[in-house]
Amino acid sequence: MTIRNKFFLFPAALTLLLAGCSHHEPEHSGSVMQPPTITVESIVPVRDGGEVVLVPKSALFMRGEMVGLYVVGRDNRLSLRWIRIGRTVHDEVVVLGGLDKGESVVGSYTPELMDGVTVKKSQHTTEEVQSR
Amino acid sequence: MNEGIAGKLAKQFINSKITPLLMVASLLVGIMATFMTPREEEPQIVVPMVDLYIPYPGATPAEVEARVAKPVERTLTEIPGVDYVYSTSMHDVAVVTVRYKVGENAEKSMVKLWSTLMKNMDKMPAGVQFPLMKKVSIDDVPVLNLTFWSSTKDPYQLRKTAVEVADELKKIKDIGDVDIKGGLRRQVKIVLQKEKLLQFNVTPLQIARQVQMSNSQMTDGDLKQMNQQIIVRSGRFLENAEDVGNIVVGIYGARPVYLRDVASVVDGPEEVNNYNFFGFAAAAPKGSLQGEYPAVTLTVAKRQGSDASKLADKVIARVNDLKKSSIPAGVTVTETRNYGATATDKVSTLLEHLLMAVVAVTIVVGFFLGWRGALVVLASVPITFALTLLIYFLLDYSLNRVTLFALIFVTGIVVDDSIIIAENIHRHFAMKRQPKLQAAITAINEVGNPTILATFTVIAAVLPMVFVSGLMGPYMSPMPIGASLAMIFSLLVALIATPWLSYRLLKTEAGHHEEYDITKTGYYKLFNSILSPFIESSFKRWMAFGVVGLMLVGAIALVPLKAVQMKMLPFDNKNEFQVILDMPEGTALEQTARVTKEISAYLKTVPEVKSYQYYVGINAPINFNGLVRHYYLRRADNMGDIQVNLVPKDERKAQSHDIAKKVRAGVQEIARRYNGNAKIVEIPPGPPVLSTLVAEIYGPSQEQQIALAKEVKKVFEATPGVVDVDWMVEDDQKVFNLVVNKERAAFRGVTAEQIAQTLRMSIAGMDVGVMHTSNELEPVTIQVRLPQESRSSMQDLSGIFVQSQGMGSLTTRLRAGEMIPVSELVKVEEKVQEKSIYRKDLRRVVYVTADVAGATESPVYAMLDMDKKIQQLKVPGGYAINPLYTASPNSDEKLAMKWDGEWQITFEVFRDLGTAFAVVLVIIYLLIIGWFQSFKTPLIMMIAIPLSLVGIIPGHMLHGAFFTATSMIGMIALAGIMVRNSVLLIDFIQIRRAEGAELKQAVIESAAVRTRPIILTSGAVVIGSIVMLFDPIFQGLAISLIWGGVLSTILTLVVVPLVYYMAEKKSR
Repeated sequence: MTIRNKFFLFPAALTLLLAGCSHHEPEHSGSVMQPPTITVESIVPVRDGGEVVLVPKSALFMRGEMVGLYVVGRDNRLSLRWIRIGRTVHDEVVVLGGLDKGESVVGSYTPELMDGVTVKKSQHTTEEVQSR
Repeated sequence: MNEGIAGKLAKQFINSKITPLLMVASLLVGIMATFMTPREEEPQIVVPMVDLYIPYPGATPAEVEARVAKPVERTLTEIPGVDYVYSTSMHDVAVVTVRYKVGENAEKSMVKLWSTLMKNMDKMPAGVQFPLMKKVSIDDVPVLNLTFWSSTKDPYQLRKTAVEVADELKKIKDIGDVDIKGGLRRQVKIVLQKEKLLQFNVTPLQIARQVQMSNSQMTDGDLKQMNQQIIVRSGRFLENAEDVGNIVVGIYGARPVYLRDVASVVDGPEEVNNYNFFGFAAAAPKGSLQGEYPAVTLTVAKRQGSDASKLADKVIARVNDLKKSSIPAGVTVTETRNYGATATDKVSTLLEHLLMAVVAVTIVVGFFLGWRGALVVLASVPITFALTLLIYFLLDYSLNRVTLFALIFVTGIVVDDSIIIAENIHRHFAMKRQPKLQAAITAINEVGNPTILATFTVIAAVLPMVFVSGLMGPYMSPMPIGASLAMIFSLLVALIATPWLSYRLLKTEAGHHEEYDITKTGYYKLFNSILSPFIESSFKRWMAFGVVGLMLVGAIALVPLKAVQMKMLPFDNKNEFQVILDMPEGTALEQTARVTKEISAYLKTVPEVKSYQYYVGINAPINFNGLVRHYYLRRADNMGDIQVNLVPKDERKAQSHDIAKKVRAGVQEIARRYNGNAKIVEIPPGPPVLSTLVAEIYGPSQEQQIALAKEVKKVFEATPGVVDVDWMVEDDQKVFNLVVNKERAAFRGVTAEQIAQTLRMSIAGMDVGVMHTSNELEPVTIQVRLPQESRSSMQDLSGIFVQSQGMGSLTTRLRAGEMIPVSELVKVEEKVQEKSIYRKDLRRVVYVTADVAGATESPVYAMLDMDKKIQQLKVPGGYAINPLYTASPNSDEKLAMKWDGEWQITFEVFRDLGTAFAVVLVIIYLLIIGWFQSFKTPLIMMIAIPLSLVGIIPGHMLHGAFFTATSMIGMIALAGIMVRNSVLLIDFIQIRRAEGAELKQAVIESAAVRTRPIILTSGAVVIGSIVMLFDPIFQGLAISLIWGGVLSTILTLVVVPLVYYMAEKKSR
């Protein structure tokens, strides 16, 4: 019984494998799940404003009424975070919910940012941020 | 030999032309009934449960409890039929849940409840608003969930689409409630601008009043002119945002102040109040999109008594149509739940099992009686089932897993009558002592009456199960009813159809005409060699009895040794489970969303997960569990639900319960990192309960109860196998209490209500009316509120003003209309939110809940384990807490604890089944006394009953299975079967002795002659049960029937004749 099952599986697996090869292949091909690394202009730590946290306005994007930004994790992975925002102070926005002190966000939103992508700072902007 | 009922009946039908017609007719109605009976997965259970929401704005939990919950509970317990009354007293509202005894008529209960409540409404304190009464029923559980998701559209657009689709779907026949979860509604927001309000001397209250007054239209009457009536109508409803903006809210200087001058009027989505996302996971088909997308779920419930699968098909077909029109490109509709499909799946699997069981049994019969005999038996089964299904249809049962289970359960038993009759006809044909027709009738006469007795014995065994009370009752009742009906039909078929078929199909082998001699058959030789030594030597006989006795004791000893564990029902293999996340009270929506998202990201990587959908700030579509657990009230900012959909069960190896166990650690690790509590919730195999393990803690004060609950919770957490520990005590939430300075307010000419209303409007927002648009399907509310950025801290509230109503005292001359800042009139006190008060049956209670998984799968053992630790807890007063099992404590003076949850149902079920079993024994005893006219013989026959335990308990150990409620049912049914075997054996001994045979000879002959039908019938039961062995729920039953059947059949064939011999010998 078990042997017959295995024989049955073999051609099935083979066809699946072949079907997978023809198209959609680059999207996620089995073991290599890591999406390409994206280079971003700046990674900004969340600014601690005493009782509030602030992020640059440019980091935000809107999806209908929802406001989102990309948080850079410790492993340099991006994760999309929905937040609630309060007042705007110059070019910064007070975040009321969804973000912690000590986290870093992508300084300026671009549409190619994606959940789970690894990011890298481009060299020149890093210095710019440091000099600030 | 005189003719009994059986012989007479058979004589009538054996050559009648009506017999084949009857057979065909019953087959046809059965087939029709199978297609007409509605199909669903869960049995129709009326859990008459009503939720009462009684608002008492402004009251603290203690006040709500004392003024509302307590008096209401007291009056409700007066209603006959009420089983439990639970209540939760929260800030501003009391939720009272009334549970009627299972089986009470839902409509009548509602009426009684309503009249009792109304009778006492005048006793409610002022301020209590009109109660809302909601019946909770199994039909509220959506059977179909359609998730609308999109990578381009936002929740507002998605909801709009879903609403349009819902409107179309509602037109389908038999559809129940159609609801939409998530997304954002359209709203006209009046966003106040604080500076402008001050500048133009306008207050929020004024705006609210003006909007309400402008939004009116009225038919004023008619004027009569020249024999004509002309209708006069005045006013105009607000139709768009512009209308709202143009409302004059005040006069400043000499010019009117329009609403648009002091606020921005926005027509669009409401403020974000929920997050609902959908994503494909590891097991999704290749090429599925990777990310997660805003989603809105459309849930479809069915009308009571309709067919879930037909409805689901209709809805899906309609949605596919709508994809061309209402559903815009870019919105994908994914089926995230289809109980119709799972029901069909379940029903067809069970029907398949039924077929396999019948075929297997036929093959076994074929071995003994040849293919002709097998054909006779095979033909009788469909007729029996056809008639049973017809009765199901007529009794308004649906085809669900319980009703079909009843059929599978009896497959092995219903063939028995036919087997016994066919076998005996076969034997008589082979003996060739009489002409064919005469032989057939003699054969039927010989076994007919004991068969009737035997059938009623089996019915007597299963029927008392109807009396199982509590929630498990409706689960079980189709079983005894279905099984009893099937037995009666099988008896009729055996007496009417089987003789007709046997007479035509069975052949008398022509040729050798030698006289039949029983002593030459193999069975006789076998039993002669086995039984003779025991009959001849009383020492050997007692040895044999001793061995059997030891086996029995050994088998029973396995239970206290925990080699076989008891559990009510094991988990079924489902295609879904839920993760319920509770963040500490006071957690922001976005923070909850973030944790939920993180958990989802983990679940996404689990190889068996196909898709997931999370709901934050709004409850996920409820399942069977959610009904009892009130998951439909999970609509707070600190709550998140994740619906996890697995790949279909035939595409994965792991059972859903094992997957749930596997992910639990990972999920809880993430939740703990953010101080949250995550639980994995599986669909219960039986009736849903609050939680598998529930400790109810009673005591003199809430503080003491909570203190003890904390200790109990620690014990729970420290016990291996106890998981998902939680308690129903809220975390401390910060509250800013704005205390109005009465003197100052009075001097300023401001009332406390004005302040409260203004603040509420500014912070929570206030709906001041609805837009009168003609083309919108959902009501569009008009809301007045401050923008998010000016209501996030206490400082923000300084800019809110109220208008003085004037103060004409001697010292101050404050004119009416003066703007007074609220901050001047109130003092901020920081407090901790008072905790909700839970009550059960008029007593305050604190619940500690948990589930069991891993080390122990059965709550009973975890409870026994924890009992010892709980008894050692130190409480003020220095007494020990002895957890109670069956009844609540007598008084609240001392702290006390009672176990509840699954235990309560387990206890009730096993108690009722145990009682049923005792009643069964008495009934069987009476039946046999009636037949054999002896007090002693029935006792000999009933010896076989305990012998089944020798097989059943070790059988469970071999399979590593739990002894469940279904095992117990198997054991009870087996009692009937075993007694029937004894009846057949002893009946034959008595016939032979009446014919003049010697006792020893009669005993051995009877064993020899009856072995074949007994092995055949028991074999049918065993073989018929094998298909059930792979079903997680019915495994226990299968093990009972198979192992119990095999062992007790073998033992019966030896022990019963021996005991009978001994008894008869002594009496002589």
